[in-house]
Amino acid sequence: MSAAVLLTLPLALPFLGAVVAFFAGRFAGPGAGRWASVLTCAAMVVASGLLMAAVWRDGVLAVQMGGWIAPFGITLVADVLAAVMVVITAVSGLAVAVYACADIDRARERLGWHALYLVLLAGVTGAFLTGDLFNLYVWFEVMLIASFCLLVIGGDREQLDGGLRYVFLNLVATVMFLVAVGLLYGLTGTLNMADLHGALKTVEAPALVTTIAILFVGAFGIKAAVFPLFFWLPASYHTPPVAVSAIFAALLTKVGVYALIRLFTLVFTQDVDYTHGLLLVIAGLTMVTGVLGAAAQTQMRKILSFHIISQIGYMVMGLALFTPLALLGAVFYLVHHIIVKANLFLVSGVAKRLTGSFELERIGGLYRAKPWLAVLFLVPALSLAGIPPLSGFWAKLVLVQASLEVESWAIAATALVVGLLTIFSMSKIWLEAFWKPHPDGDAAVVSLTRSETVLLVAPVVVLAAITVVIGLVPQPFLDLAARSAAELLSPEAYVRTVLGGVP
Amino acid sequence: MADGTVQAAGQVAVTPGGYKAPAWLGALFALPPALAALAFSLLLPGVAAGEAFEWSLAWAPQLGISFAFRIDGLALLFALLVTGIGAAVMLYSGVYLADHPRIGRFFLYLTLFMVSMLGLVTADDAIALFVFWELTTVTSFLLIGFTHDDPKSRRNALQALLLTGAGGLALLAGLLLLGQETGTLRLSQMDPAVVQASALLPGITVLVLIGCFTKSAQFPFHFWLPNAMSAPTPVSAYLHSATMVKAGIYLLARLSPSLGGSEIWVWSLTLAGAVTAVVGALWAVRQTDLKQMLAWTTVMALGTLTLLLAGSEPISIAAAMTFLVVHALYKATLFMVVGILDHEAGTRDKRLLGGLLRAMPLTAAAAALAAMSMGGFPPFLGFIGKELKYEGALALTAMPGVAAAGLVLASACMVAVAGMVAIGPFLGRERRAVAAHPHDPPAGMLVGPLLLAGLGLAFGLAPGLISGTLVQPAVTAVLGGPAEVKLKLWHGINVPLMLGLATFTLGIALYVLRRPVIAALDAVTARLPTTGDAAYDGALAGFKRLAAWQTDLLQSGRPRVYMATTVGTVAALALATLVAGGGVVMPAGSPAPDVLGLAAVAVAAAGTLLVVMTRSRLAAIGGLGMVGTAVALLFLMHGAVDVATTQFLVETLVVLLLAVALLRLPELTSLPARPLPTRLRDGLIAGAAGLTVTLVLLAVLAEPFDRRVTAFFEAASWPEAYGRNIVNVILVDFRALDTFGEIAVVAVAGLGAYALLRNDRILPKLPADSLILRTATRGLAALLLVFALFMLLRGHNAPGGGFIAGLIAATGFALLTIGHGVGLARRAMGAAPRLIALGGLGLALAAGMAGMVAGGLPFEGLWLFVGADPATGDKGLPLSTVLVFDIGVFLVVVGAVLAIVFALEEEA
Amino acid sequence: MDVLFALLAGLLTAAAVWLLLDRSLVRVLFGLALLGNAANLAIFAAGRLTAGKPPLVPEGMTAPVGEVANALPQALILTAIVISFGLFAFALALVHRAHKDLGTADVDALAEAEGKR
Repeated sequence: MSAAVLLTLPLALPFLGAVVAFFAGRFAGPGAGRWASVLTCAAMVVASGLLMAAVWRDGVLAVQMGGWIAPFGITLVADVLAAVMVVITAVSGLAVAVYACADIDRARERLGWHALYLVLLAGVTGAFLTGDLFNLYVWFEVMLIASFCLLVIGGDREQLDGGLRYVFLNLVATVMFLVAVGLLYGLTGTLNMADLHGALKTVEAPALVTTIAILFVGAFGIKAAVFPLFFWLPASYHTPPVAVSAIFAALLTKVGVYALIRLFTLVFTQDVDYTHGLLLVIAGLTMVTGVLGAAAQTQMRKILSFHIISQIGYMVMGLALFTPLALLGAVFYLVHHIIVKANLFLVSGVAKRLTGSFELERIGGLYRAKPWLAVLFLVPALSLAGIPPLSGFWAKLVLVQASLEVESWAIAATALVVGLLTIFSMSKIWLEAFWKPHPDGDAAVVSLTRSETVLLVAPVVVLAAITVVIGLVPQPFLDLAARSAAELLSPEAYVRTVLGGVP
Repeated sequence: MADGTVQAAGQVAVTPGGYKAPAWLGALFALPPALAALAFSLLLPGVAAGEAFEWSLAWAPQLGISFAFRIDGLALLFALLVTGIGAAVMLYSGVYLADHPRIGRFFLYLTLFMVSMLGLVTADDAIALFVFWELTTVTSFLLIGFTHDDPKSRRNALQALLLTGAGGLALLAGLLLLGQETGTLRLSQMDPAVVQASALLPGITVLVLIGCFTKSAQFPFHFWLPNAMSAPTPVSAYLHSATMVKAGIYLLARLSPSLGGSEIWVWSLTLAGAVTAVVGALWAVRQTDLKQMLAWTTVMALGTLTLLLAGSEPISIAAAMTFLVVHALYKATLFMVVGILDHEAGTRDKRLLGGLLRAMPLTAAAAALAAMSMGGFPPFLGFIGKELKYEGALALTAMPGVAAAGLVLASACMVAVAGMVAIGPFLGRERRAVAAHPHDPPAGMLVGPLLLAGLGLAFGLAPGLISGTLVQPAVTAVLGGPAEVKLKLWHGINVPLMLGLATFTLGIALYVLRRPVIAALDAVTARLPTTGDAAYDGALAGFKRLAAWQTDLLQSGRPRVYMATTVGTVAALALATLVAGGGVVMPAGSPAPDVLGLAAVAVAAAGTLLVVMTRSRLAAIGGLGMVGTAVALLFLMHGAVDVATTQFLVETLVVLLLAVALLRLPELTSLPARPLPTRLRDGLIAGAAGLTVTLVLLAVLAEPFDRRVTAFFEAASWPEAYGRNIVNVILVDFRALDTFGEIAVVAVAGLGAYALLRNDRILPKLPADSLILRTATRGLAALLLVFALFMLLRGHNAPGGGFIAGLIAATGFALLTIGHGVGLARRAMGAAPRLIALGGLGLALAAGMAGMVAGGLPFEGLWLFVGADPATGDKGLPLSTVLVFDIGVFLVVVGAVLAIVFALEEEA
Repeated sequence: MDVLFALLAGLLTAAAVWLLLDRSLVRVLFGLALLGNAANLAIFAAGRLTAGKPPLVPEGMTAPVGEVANALPQALILTAIVISFGLFAFALALVHRAHKDLGTADVDALAEAEGKR
C-alpha cells in the first residue's frame, strides 16, 4: 500500500463513516447508525495498524496533499509518535463506540450522535497526522466543535451549564492558537512544521520567538488542561453521557499534550532552559493541583476528571525534562493513559448503572454483588496509580528514573508523592463503591441485561487486558516509545522526509 | 481491635443458606506451598556449600530490568518460612473460614500474596523486587480489608496501604538511585565499594530505610500493624509472623552488604530498632485482646531484628537470622492458637478466658510450646535466640549497652506476655463468658500450630539441624562473605547468660505484678500527647482539608474567574517573556497610513468602544456591525477582495442571527455593572492581552519577511492549478485539506446548533405581515441564488468560490425565512438543511479522495478539458474534481447556515 | 499602517477579553465576535500589508503582474472566518438554549455543573 493511502485512510475513514452514519441513522434506523459507527472504528483500527506497521518498518512516512510539495502544500506525516497515537485513538475509539451502543439514547442518536462522534475521532486523527501548523489548527477546531456538540446535545440542565464552561474557555484557546500561528507565519513565512524547524534557526529575535512559544504553551496548555489553565475540564467532564466523558478523557487533553510535544521538540528548541524549564514547573504544579482536586471530590467522574489533570502533569514532565528517557516516558505515558483513563470512565458508567449514582455516598456493595466489576476496576485503577506490574507502573518508573538521572530531585519527589495520592483517591472509590455496603442494602445493586453486558463490559475487558499486557510485556512498548523519543530528539529524518522534494 | 470485626469474618457472616466449604479446600491450597517448601529444602545442601541458584529472563531490557531470581542463603531462609508457614496457614484457614461465603476469594488473595512474597525474597533484580513488594502491599490491602462491611476494617486497610505505599515509593527512588550509581539493577552485582563511595549514599540510605521501616512497622510507623489485626486471624498468622512485615527486614538484610556500615545506616537502625522493640514490648503487656497483644509483640520482634541488623559483626547478624526463625515459628503458632480460642470459645479477650486446659488440651500444648520459645526458656530455640540477641547487641557499634538493656526489657515483657497467652486462658477457673462446650478444633486447625511449635523445641534441642544449613548460609549472604555460625544451647557462664537470668527475673516479676504494671502503663498512655494512629488521622484530615481548600480556591465554580485566570496567566507570561528578553521593537519603514485607512481604523475603534460601553443590545449589534464592516474595508484596501466579501457576508449573517436570537435574551441592563475591584482586575487582564497582541505583532513586523511560499503559489496557480484567483486556488487545491476540515466544522456546527435549538413542539411561524416585504424578500432571494451560482462557478479565476457562494445563497434563504417563515424556505430548498450539509461534506470528501482512488494523491485534482484543441492551444473548459470539491463547500455552507437559521426561527 | 493594524488588533483583543469577563452571556458572545476579528487582523498584518492589488493572475498571463497582496494569509483568514462563524453560531445557539432551560443568561447565576459558590 502506498504511503498516500496509508496516511489518508485513518483520516478519511471516520469522515466517510460520519456521513454514512448520519444518513444511515436517518434513513435506515438507529441500528444502522450504530453499525456504521462501530464498523468505521474497526476499519480505523485496521488502517492505523497498517500505518503503524509501515512506519515501524520504513521509518517516517509523508504524503503531500494534492501533490504540492512541502512546504507549499499540506503534508500528512507519521513518525512513530503520530502513528502510535493514531492507533491508540482508533483502539479507544472502537471501545467507546461499542460502549456507546448501549449508553447513548435514541434522542441523541436522532440528533446525529454517531456522526459527531466519528468527526471527533477524525479531528483527533488529523491533529496527529498533519505536518502543517495551520492545518493542525483546523483539526483542533474540528475536534472542538464535535466535542461541543457531543457535550451538550440532548442536554439536561447540567450538561448545558457544563457546556458553557467548556465552550468559552476552549474557544479562547483556539483563538490564541490561531493568533500564534499567524504570528509565527509572519516571522518565518512558513507553516510547515518541518520547515519551521529550519526556518527558526535563521531568525535573530530570540525574545520574540520565545514569546510566541509561550503563546503556544498557553493555547496547548489550555487544551491539555495544565495548571493553571485546566478549569474547563473538571467543570464539564462529569456532565455528558459516560461514553462522551470517556472519549474526551482519553483523547482531548492528549491532543494538547501531543501538540506540545511536537512543537517543543521540532520547532521551539531555541531556549530550552527557559521554555522547558517553565514546562517543568507547570508539570509539577499540574500534578499536585490535579491530585489534590481529586482528593477533594466525592463523585466518581469528578475524581477521575481531576486525575486527568494530574496525569497530564506527568506527560508534560517527560517533555520538560527533554532527555531521551524522559521523552520515552512521556510517550509511554500517553499511550498508557489513554487506555486506562477511557476504561476508568467506562467502568464508572457501569458502576453507576448498577448502583444508581456517581455519588460515592449514595452507592456501594459492588464488591460483593459484582466481583467481576471489582477486578475490572482494580486493573485500570491500580495502573493509574502506578502499581506494578501494570502499564502505569512502567510509565511512572521511566519518568522517575529520568528525573533522577538528571538530578531533578524536586520533580522526582513530586511525581512519587503524587503517585501515592493517586493511590489514595483511587482507594476512595474502591472503599466506597465496592467495599462499603450499599446504603440502601445490597439488593439495591441491579443487574445488566444480556445485551448491556456485552456492549458495556466487553470494551472494558479489552481495555483492561491491554493494560495488563503492556504491564507484563512492556518491552515492545518501551521499544516503540524509545524509538519515538529518538525521533523527537533528532528530527532530521522527519524533516528530510517531509521536505524531501525541496532542494 | 473489636471482637466483632473478626466475628464478622469468621462466624457471624454465615449466609442464611449456611455456606460450608468442603473440608479438603484448605488442604488443596496447602499443597502447593508444601510442595514448594519441599523443593526449596532440596536446595539446602547446595546453598550451604556456597552455591547460589540463579534464573533470569529479559523483561524490559530497554531499562536494564530483568526478571531475575537468585536463591542464596538469605533468600532460601525466607523462602522456606514463606512456603512452610504458608502451608500451615492455608490448612488452618480451610477450617477457620469454612463457613465464610467468600472463602474462595480469601484463598485467591492469600495465594497471590504468598507468590508475591516468594518473588520478593528471591528476586535479584531491584525492580522485580519492587514489583513484588508492591504486590504484597496490594494483596495485603485486600486481606486486611477482607471484612469490608466494617468501616474500621476499611479504614485500617487504607492505613496500611497508604503507609506501606508511601514507603514503597521512597524505596523505588532509592533502588533506582542505587541502580544508577552502580550501573546495574542486579542486587547481587552491585559493587559495595561503589555504593559506599557515592555522594548520594545518605540519600539512598534514607529512601531505602523509609521503605523498609514502613513495611516492617518500625517506630514511628509502627501503628498500622496492630490496626491490621482487623483481618481474619489466619491472615495475621501469616502476614505478621513470617511474611509481609518481614519484607522490610529482608530488604535491610539484603542491602546491608552495599548500604550497611555507614553512620546513618547504623544509627537509624539502632535507634529505630531499639525504640520499636521497647515500645512494642511495653504496649503488648497492656493489651486485653490477645490478638492485639501478639500484634504488639510482633512490633517488638521487628524492632529487635532491625536493631541487630545495624551490626556488622557476624554475631549480630547470626542473632538476627536465628531470631527470625524463632519468631516466625512461635508467632505463627500463637496467632493460630488465638484464632482457635476465638473460634471455639467465642472471644479473644484475656479477661474472659480461663480454665480451658481440660477442654482444649492440644491447643494448650501448642500454646505452651510456642510460649516457652517466646519467653526464651531452655531448651527451646527461643533460648538460643535470646542468648544470641544479647551477644549480638553487645557487639553493636552504636550504643551497645543501651541496646542490650533495651532488649532485656523487651524480652522480659515477652516472658510476661508468654505467660498471659499460654497460662491465662488455659489455667485457673473456667469463665462463664466462654461459649458452651469449647473443645479442640478439627485437625486441620491443629496440625499447623503443633508442628511449628514442635519445631521450636526440636531446633532448640538439636540446633545443628539449622545452624549449618539455614542460619550460616543466610549470615554469609548478609555479610557478603563467609561467616562461621554455631548455634548451641550452652555457651558457658558469660554476660548473655547473666542478662538472660535477669530477663527471667524481671519477666516473671512483670507477670506476677502485671495488674499494677498495666495500670501504670495505661496512665502513661493517657498522658501521651499523641499516638501514631492519631497522628495519622490528623495528617489525613489535614490533607483532606488542604485538598478541599485548594480545590475551592482553584476550581471555584465561577466561570469568570476561570476566564480571568486563563487569559491573565498567558498574557502575563507572554508579556514578561517579551519584555524581559528585550523583544519590544517597532517596525522600521512602515508605510504611512492613508486617510481612508485611518478612517476605517477609527470606525472600527469607535464600533469597539460602542460594543463595550453600551447598555443597549441593538447599539451593541450596531457596534459589532461597524467593526465588521470597517475590518472588511481594511481587508479590501489591502488587496483582499475574497476576504472582504466573506467578511461582509459573515457579518451580515452574524447580525441576522443575533437579531433573531437576541430578542429572546435578556437586556444588557438586567445585570449590574461590575464592581470597581473587578473592573480593575478585568481591565488589567484585558489590557495585558491587548498589549501582548500589539507588541508581539509589532515585533514580528520588525523582522524581515520570507515570501517564498506565496511566491510558489503565485507562480504555480495558473500553470499548474489552472486558476487565476490565487486565494481560491489555495483554498480548493494547494491547501484543500484546510478547507475540508473547515467545512467539517461548519457542518458539525450546523448539526450542533440544530440539536440545541430543536424543539419538539414546532409552532407555525406567522410570516411577516408586510406584503411588500414578502415580495421583496422573495425576489431578492431568487436574485441572490442566481448570483451565488455565478460566484461559485467563477470563483477559481475571479473573486468568489464555494464559501462566498454558499454564504450568499444562505443569506438569500435566510431572508426568505424572515419574510415568509420557515415553511416556504424549506420548500424552496427541497431537502433538510442538515442533509445538504452532510451531503456536501461527503461530496467534498469524495472529490478529495478521487485523486487517490485514481492512483494519485489525495486532493490531487483530476482535470477534464472540454473542447480542448491542441492545435490552437486552447485549453477549453476545465472541469475537475476541484470544482466538485468547491460545490461540496458550497453545499455545506448553505446547509449548515440554514440548519441554524431555521432552527432559530422555528424555536418559539 | 502596520502600527495602526497592530494597535487596532490590540484594542479589539482587549475589548474582547473585557467582554468575555462580563457577567452577561450576551456580552460574552459579543466578546467572542470581536476576538475573531482581532485574530484575523493580526494574521493579515503578520503576512505583511500591501496597498491595493488583489492576488489574481490576469488573463493571458501565467503569474500576477507586479506586487500583489500576499494570498496565503488571505486564504488562512477566509478559513478562520468561516470556522469562527460556525463556532459563533454554535455558541449563540448554546447561550440561547441555556437561557431557555436554565432561566438565566448571567454567568454568575450558573449553578448546575459545579454548584453555586
